[in-house]
Amino acid sequence: MSCDRNPWRNRALDIGVLLLVVAAASPVLADSQSPAIGAWEPMRPQLYGTRDIGEVDDQLMSIEAPGTTPDPAATPVVLRFGGALAGRVKQVRVIIDNNPSPLVTTMDLKEGLPVDEIDLRVRIDRFTSVRAIAETIDGKLEMRSTWVNASGGCSAPPSAAAGGTLGQIRFRPSGDARSLQISIRHPNNSGFQIDPRTGDPIPPHFVSHIRLSAGGQTLMEADTGISLSENPTLRIASSKPLSSPLTVEATDIPTQERYTATWIAGSSSR
Amino acid sequence: MPRMTATVSRGPHRRFRGRLQHATLAVLGSLAVSAWLYAAAPNALPVSEVAPGVFVHTGKTLALDVPGHDDIANVGFVIGARCVAVIDSGGSVRVGSALRAAVREHTPLPVCYVINTHVHVDHVLGNAAFKDDKPQFIGHAQLTAALARSREFFLKNYAADLDSPPGAEQIIGPDRTVAPGSDLDLDLGQRQLTLRAWPRAHTDCDLTVLDRGTATLWTGDLLFVGRTPVVDGSLKGWLGVMEDLARLPAKHVVPGHGAVSSELAAALEPQRRYLVALLQGVRDELAQGKPLQEAVRDVQPQKSQWQLWDETHPRNVARAYQELEWE
Repeated sequence: MSCDRNPWRNRALDIGVLLLVVAAASPVLADSQSPAIGAWEPMRPQLYGTRDIGEVDDQLMSIEAPGTTPDPAATPVVLRFGGALAGRVKQVRVIIDNNPSPLVTTMDLKEGLPVDEIDLRVRIDRFTSVRAIAETIDGKLEMRSTWVNASGGCSAPPSAAAGGTLGQIRFRPSGDARSLQISIRHPNNSGFQIDPRTGDPIPPHFVSHIRLSAGGQTLMEADTGISLSENPTLRIASSKPLSSPLTVEATDIPTQERYTATWIAGSSSR
Repeated sequence: MPRMTATVSRGPHRRFRGRLQHATLAVLGSLAVSAWLYAAAPNALPVSEVAPGVFVHTGKTLALDVPGHDDIANVGFVIGARCVAVIDSGGSVRVGSALRAAVREHTPLPVCYVINTHVHVDHVLGNAAFKDDKPQFIGHAQLTAALARSREFFLKNYAADLDSPPGAEQIIGPDRTVAPGSDLDLDLGQRQLTLRAWPRAHTDCDLTVLDRGTATLWTGDLLFVGRTPVVDGSLKGWLGVMEDLARLPAKHVVPGHGAVSSELAAALEPQRRYLVALLQGVRDELAQGKPLQEAVRDVQPQKSQWQLWDETHPRNVARAYQELEWE
């Protein structure tokens, strides 16, 4: 809908980059048949300068998303790290080229963290490339991308699960405790949805930061934005059982409210 | 219905006049003018009279992105002694105009109400075709808001289904609404319609119409027959609403999609089984800690029994998952 016309701030992104992105994205909107070159080209030099980015081996890293998403407002994106990248990724960025706020997240991982899969649920506004760029502990960059066809994910109305206790956190481990889904009850309002009563945009209100820690040590920190779906969800998986207790802290914009919960293996939802 | 004799007799008369006009023009040899006349008077939508004075057009089983997608919903009208109520207007102004032409084949009475059963494009985009009749547009209290959210999306994706040039003013919302959980009675002249607005189910703005005299129930998309049901509101809410729906005194059932039938309980049963299987399947995935994408892959009940499964079912799983993960 009107995503592309609304100027938008994302604290994870330099304003200059964003304006560049909006300017670059606008002319291509007329051609909705083919995926446009979106945010990535102007973002690349801002985020990574002229550094080489490898795009070779799916064994090292893969990104998976449905070619046509069942639900544009909640499209699953799965990142997998294997081989030489397992435990050696220090940062991952996820970018949805043709979204109004393309940078979905920047995740910093603790060295040696035994996580080989990270799942996110994202909004997708139109036919787009979805890409992940990983930086290893020795400073190498690897990128993978995939296409997703969708429409209207940024401006979709709240789902049946809207509401509930703001900031409630749920843990959903697999039976073998090698994966854990963390869901945060939050509208994650993009600022692009319209209040039908007034015709005004619903103000942005979204989870901006998620931190996972164990024993006071940070395992993972993520800057997040409005491209995460309503009730933001993060899932991590490992080749061995995850260690617990694991504490989650989430912060939102603009309230700076902090939500926290701790998962103890053997217990399911909080 | 006492009114029927009078209204039905109008049809042949009008058709005769049409033939006369055509003959005159043929004599004049003005083929171009003749072609223009046909274009100006749209072909009437085929309808069948499922109960005295109750006319239904059965929509096609097509996806939303193929030619003919504007004619996929069941639409129709009910004729009273004083005026006519149109129930859903189709997925384009063209289909709305063809529905209006069908009304005109059966009665000269004015269209006093255009009732929309919910917000989906295949049920509302024909509203503009009735604008000049100055009817009351009636819907669920949430329909106003739901249309406000959808207008821009409709304009972008269904511009070709509006009159040219397409504009937001053609997407007409209700000027009279029914609050969820309550009824509204309409009098068409010796004919009472009872409209009921439901809590969140297929969408957040579902409305049914019961013609009391003939016990004809228009379910809107609270009932899909043959075509895979679309969960756009609340899966649990819908199953609850279906229990109440089953208690309505209906002898004729007009679903939102699929064949008209005379047994409400039997008509509801396949959909109930599908929705229960969906609910159970997704709950099982959640209990095993499976993520959304695995649930979409794993939960495949009753695939062979439903039309347009691949276009519809995966999204239902995704929506159900998001609803049920907070149980």
